[in-house]
Amino acid sequence: MDTIIIDGLSFALPLFIMAIGGIYSEKSGITNLALEGFQGFGAFIGAMSAVLIANASGAAVENMFYVALIFAMIGGMGFSVIHAVLSIKFKANQVISGVVINILALALTTFLTTQINALVFGAASDKFRLGVSERFTIDGLANIPVIGAVFTDVYPFEVIIIVIAIFAWYVLYKTKFGLRLRASGENPQSVDAAGVNVYKIRFSAVLISGMLSGLAGMCFAYSISAQFSSGIYMGYGFLAIAALIFGNWRILPTLAACLLFGFAKSGGMYIAQAMALPSSFTDLFMILPYVLTLLLLIFFSKTNRAPRALGEIYDKGKR
Amino acid sequence: MSKDNKKTSLRYRLLWPIRNEKWQPITIPVASILFSFIVAAIVILLLGKNPIQAFYNLFQGAGIFPKATYAGYKSMLTDFLSLLDAMTPLVFASLAVAVALRAGLFNIGVSGQMLFSGFIATIIVGYSGLDAFVAKPLVLLIGMIAGGLMGGLVGWLKYKFNIHEVVTTIMLNYIAQYVISFFIHNYYIDPVSRQSKYITEAARLTLVNFEFANLKMDIPLGFILAIAVAIFVKFLLDKTVVGFEIKAVGSNRDAAKYTGIKVGSNMILAMIISGGLAGLAGVTYYLGDFASIQPKVLTSLGFDSIAVALLGNSHPIGIIFSSFLISIIDQGSTYMSSQAGIRQEIASVIIGLILLFSACGAYVKHKVSRLKEKEVDRKDSES
Repeated sequence: MDTIIIDGLSFALPLFIMAIGGIYSEKSGITNLALEGFQGFGAFIGAMSAVLIANASGAAVENMFYVALIFAMIGGMGFSVIHAVLSIKFKANQVISGVVINILALALTTFLTTQINALVFGAASDKFRLGVSERFTIDGLANIPVIGAVFTDVYPFEVIIIVIAIFAWYVLYKTKFGLRLRASGENPQSVDAAGVNVYKIRFSAVLISGMLSGLAGMCFAYSISAQFSSGIYMGYGFLAIAALIFGNWRILPTLAACLLFGFAKSGGMYIAQAMALPSSFTDLFMILPYVLTLLLLIFFSKTNRAPRALGEIYDKGKR
Repeated sequence: MSKDNKKTSLRYRLLWPIRNEKWQPITIPVASILFSFIVAAIVILLLGKNPIQAFYNLFQGAGIFPKATYAGYKSMLTDFLSLLDAMTPLVFASLAVAVALRAGLFNIGVSGQMLFSGFIATIIVGYSGLDAFVAKPLVLLIGMIAGGLMGGLVGWLKYKFNIHEVVTTIMLNYIAQYVISFFIHNYYIDPVSRQSKYITEAARLTLVNFEFANLKMDIPLGFILAIAVAIFVKFLLDKTVVGFEIKAVGSNRDAAKYTGIKVGSNMILAMIISGGLAGLAGVTYYLGDFASIQPKVLTSLGFDSIAVALLGNSHPIGIIFSSFLISIIDQGSTYMSSQAGIRQEIASVIIGLILLFSACGAYVKHKVSRLKEKEVDRKDSES
């Protein structure tokens, strides 16, 4: 039972922070299918920095977690500039731009990983080994039945994500910037009429999504995969998009969707193990989160509505 | 002022190849392809290799130019046929994406639909021992129906329950991947290759090691069908009522509704067609070149096809050319990496760059027309 909560949370929270980035971008009116590419590229920059710094300083790469996290956020943000420039400045189709960025991220990071491994370490390897970041348990709270699992074996990044998520919620719903951002996705002309630069708002929203995706990618790399390789492109970026659409482009329902994914995923694994079925049967339980999502959507998506100006190129002269 | 004018006119002159609006759908992709090869050349130079040599190797590997030596029973023709073999599913998959895009839907689940149809065709026909003349058409038919059903489900869920097609297709991708992996592991596994058992030669859509003129070649039977289907899709979209309605729904859903077009059934129909095309991609992929399915792996081809469709302007004939180019880069990369000593991954970087530059196409178009206006103004003021 405890493992369901522990594993579920450590999967759901990175997904959630990535989905928040997606919400920022889509609420400002920019369709963002590039989350997958952002998280991969961010994780690549983070992992590369961690490995290189560890190599130069002689420290263990497992301890480079926070350094990697910061570099991953910068990397994801830097990469998201491409999406912002293409879809805002160059007025490219946002879906095209997103898909292109995913393909470019996969190609560039695999190419650069092998190049850097060959140049710096002289090894023909297509991955950066990272290990798993250390975990901690809060002693008193962990003894509470059931809920105690939330405080057991916590990855440090889970705390960081929760803090950032609360901040992101505050900014989006309680500040002037957040209001303008949400208005840019509904009625950009009115934002412009109020004397605010729609392009700047959208640009910063895309950069925020890149930064948060980079963070999420690094968390995946330091937990479930314990390395950076092309295996980081598991489709979690698309899963985050699914979660935010499921959550109707709002932060709290999206959290619920991410938790559902996380717990259904770890729950499925747990059931398969508990029933002591042969390993080939685990595949059947792995579909649990996806089937549940589809079933729930049948009941809940009638009222779902995307931001009105989503995917539309902002044209100042349009009425 | 005059200096500024000169600058404009120089830029204007530099842009001459892509100035003609009529040719822009062709010239802009070609320009972006050239541009990405130039960038790739710079990267290869930085790695200390000869880019011209590398690109030549790329085309040699794909069977466009002759290699220096060939192994027994191989020639440029066999390489070229392998290229067409690899290109076939890509054409179908890109057409699938394009049809959905025309209806304003984003079919991100081509990979899942391919896997599903490939699997169904494999278990029904692949191990049946049917005669080739029955088995091969049956494979195509089953692939089309299986893919069409899965695509139709996506369209129906969108119409009936307002579930976003991106979510549905992503979920179905995962579900197909795991469920099929379960069945392969339990019933159809080959213990040595850890993949599904090889299907019979009769059911395969690629004639393997066909001996002709002292050569052993792989003949992709699906290729001719792919070209025919591309032309058919063009006809369907441009010349029929169905195509017109699908495009109307895609360009403005509300306007289509007001003119009395049934939006829901057209969306479902578009997804059925899209899924059916993805199904054809699936059978030509899994029952063509490979003859077996690797469990728990979704082919990246389904995602690449989105980009290929966009590079071809979602136009069926454009798609034939764009898949041809992307397949050349893909197929030639192995030979290039062995000959020129450049890592194979540079090929996907080149593909990524081509797509990146072609995504800027709309902007270039816009800039060129602005420059044109300026040029007209300048001429007016001079005279």
